[in-house]
Amino acid sequence: MTEYLIRRVLQSVLVIFLITVLTFLLIHAAPGGPTQVMLSPGLSPEIFKQQAKNLGLDQPIPVQYVRWIGDMVQGDLGYTFKNHLAVSGLLWPRIGNTFILMGAAWLVSLLIAIPWGIYNSTKVYGLSDQTASFISYLGFALPTFWFGILLQQWFSLKLNWFPLSDMYSRGHEGDIGDLFMHLVLPVTVLSLGFLASYMKYARASMLEVLDQDYIRTARAKGVKERKVVFHHALRNALIPIITILGLDLPILVAGAALTENVFNWPGMGRWFVEMASAREYSVLMAVTIVTAVMVVIGNLLADILYAVVDPRVKLGKQGGGTA
Amino acid sequence: MSADKSQLHTSHATEPLGLSNTIPMPSLDPQTPITDSKRPPGPWQILWKKFSHNPYAMIGLVVLLFFVVVGLLAPFITKYDPAAIDLMFANLQPGAGGHLLGTDELGRDILSRLLFSTRISLLIGFSVALSSVAIGTVIGAVSGYFGGWADTISMRIVDVMNSVPTLFLNILVLAIFGSQIKYMILILALTSWMSIARLVRGTFLQLREMQYVEAARAIGVSSWGIIFRHLLRNASFPIIVNATLMVGGAILSESALSYLGLGIQAPATSWGLMLSNAQEFMLVDPKQALYPGLCILLVVLAVNFIGDGIRDALDPRQQATKSRRRLDQWRKNYSKSEN
Repeated sequence: MTEYLIRRVLQSVLVIFLITVLTFLLIHAAPGGPTQVMLSPGLSPEIFKQQAKNLGLDQPIPVQYVRWIGDMVQGDLGYTFKNHLAVSGLLWPRIGNTFILMGAAWLVSLLIAIPWGIYNSTKVYGLSDQTASFISYLGFALPTFWFGILLQQWFSLKLNWFPLSDMYSRGHEGDIGDLFMHLVLPVTVLSLGFLASYMKYARASMLEVLDQDYIRTARAKGVKERKVVFHHALRNALIPIITILGLDLPILVAGAALTENVFNWPGMGRWFVEMASAREYSVLMAVTIVTAVMVVIGNLLADILYAVVDPRVKLGKQGGGTA
Repeated sequence: MSADKSQLHTSHATEPLGLSNTIPMPSLDPQTPITDSKRPPGPWQILWKKFSHNPYAMIGLVVLLFFVVVGLLAPFITKYDPAAIDLMFANLQPGAGGHLLGTDELGRDILSRLLFSTRISLLIGFSVALSSVAIGTVIGAVSGYFGGWADTISMRIVDVMNSVPTLFLNILVLAIFGSQIKYMILILALTSWMSIARLVRGTFLQLREMQYVEAARAIGVSSWGIIFRHLLRNASFPIIVNATLMVGGAILSESALSYLGLGIQAPATSWGLMLSNAQEFMLVDPKQALYPGLCILLVVLAVNFIGDGIRDALDPRQQATKSRRRLDQWRKNYSKSEN
């Protein structure tokens, strides 16, 4: 176990390192470099050079990289070009806002998807199963932002049930009830996407287990169907589902950029798009790397969790396949 | 009369023969003349037969063909320039002044904007799918066939690409290099080839120790010869399924990026861009948001149906599904009567 852990952790560190290199090189491949964006083009070349020197941009690329990564590790994510604000101070509240939105959507979709998927696995091709597969198709093909716009038109402009956008109404900051009303529409949009895939996973995973010999044995010796499904099958069917959830954890932070833009939610995705238009490179780098690190950690946790939950996983071997 | 008939025959026979060059058909020797009535169906014919019996897949095909034709013939269908601004005729209702779907807030004809957007979406969808197939195949083939360091490096690259948040990376690249179609196709392809690489690698790992590969190696076929002539064909059908589904994903990504203002830029037009306009003028004209979204939904659904149709047609178990259901039914009835 420890050997497996160490190797997985080292692997993750390598992946994170490669991601930082990739992001760093991308930013430095920008035509004209960062100074081009900061200063107005009419200024003399000397000023550009001076500015570049101030920022340490005259150093060779590897030196710049090491300096930047050193700051990163210490929690200094750099400063915005405009107003010179610390990125880390701006970043964490936005991550929190995104987390509220995505967490709610995740919870709602899980609470619907897993029981529904399990139910459908016991009644394959039934009406409920057909409905679910229709929803899945829709969830994979529907442009989320369009769905969001339609919901806005119907439920806030026409019916006036829910607020159009933002996180709180003006003057209601921190009010839970107000937050809830603002959450309904974006959570609906996000849940549809989650629902589509989780339902499929739950159903497929259950079907696979229900097909196995020990289930037949259980049925043959007269165990009640309810007990077969919930006691014998569900336990094993949940293992792959847990892995998928672990892999999806980082989506909680990264996955809402479109929905946030539609509903003007003050989260990380909307901020990223805003900052991309303003070419705030330090923000873009910081956000990309923070999310990537979370993805890697999520994958690592999923793997470890998988090994802990399923004793059949053979550790130490390539990837650890099930017996 | 007889001359006509023979011509008919030859023209009919050449087509399957031409196809048979691209796929392995062990039972057929291309040298021997084939009488098409006794000819056993090739894999493509079996595939098509199963595919054409799937109503969803066929509907998807018809819808996709409709959009392709409409996109190609766009300048002949509408007389309005999608970029022509005419403030005198802004916000016209559908049908008014010869504008079938009306005009937007700048007086641009909505129908012709929709038509020309079709071109962009399909162009991006198919180019992204093709380029990611190319990238994924080469990387997957190298890592699966050669193994060792090549494999380790390729799989780390796959890990890295899978860990970078795709949408953020797309936005980042478009923000840095500018929103041009070529960059969009490039970055969408660079962020979506991983599944194909994994698939090709898996197939190769499975097959590279097979005896026919060993035989090919023994008679001196080069590594690339084995990869492209002997191994890749075994992965071609799953690659096609994967690529088809990728078209839909690329169309969705394009519309999303354009909606965020980082994709297609104004005078050019795209469904995503139209939606971002429509949201701005939601109070004035709510109908505007309907058409472009519907187009995206239809095209992506069509492509996904086609992909699923191909996958089902390729699945040898698929034929058994119906009978298996019947078997279950029978089993249920049987066990009831036993009780």
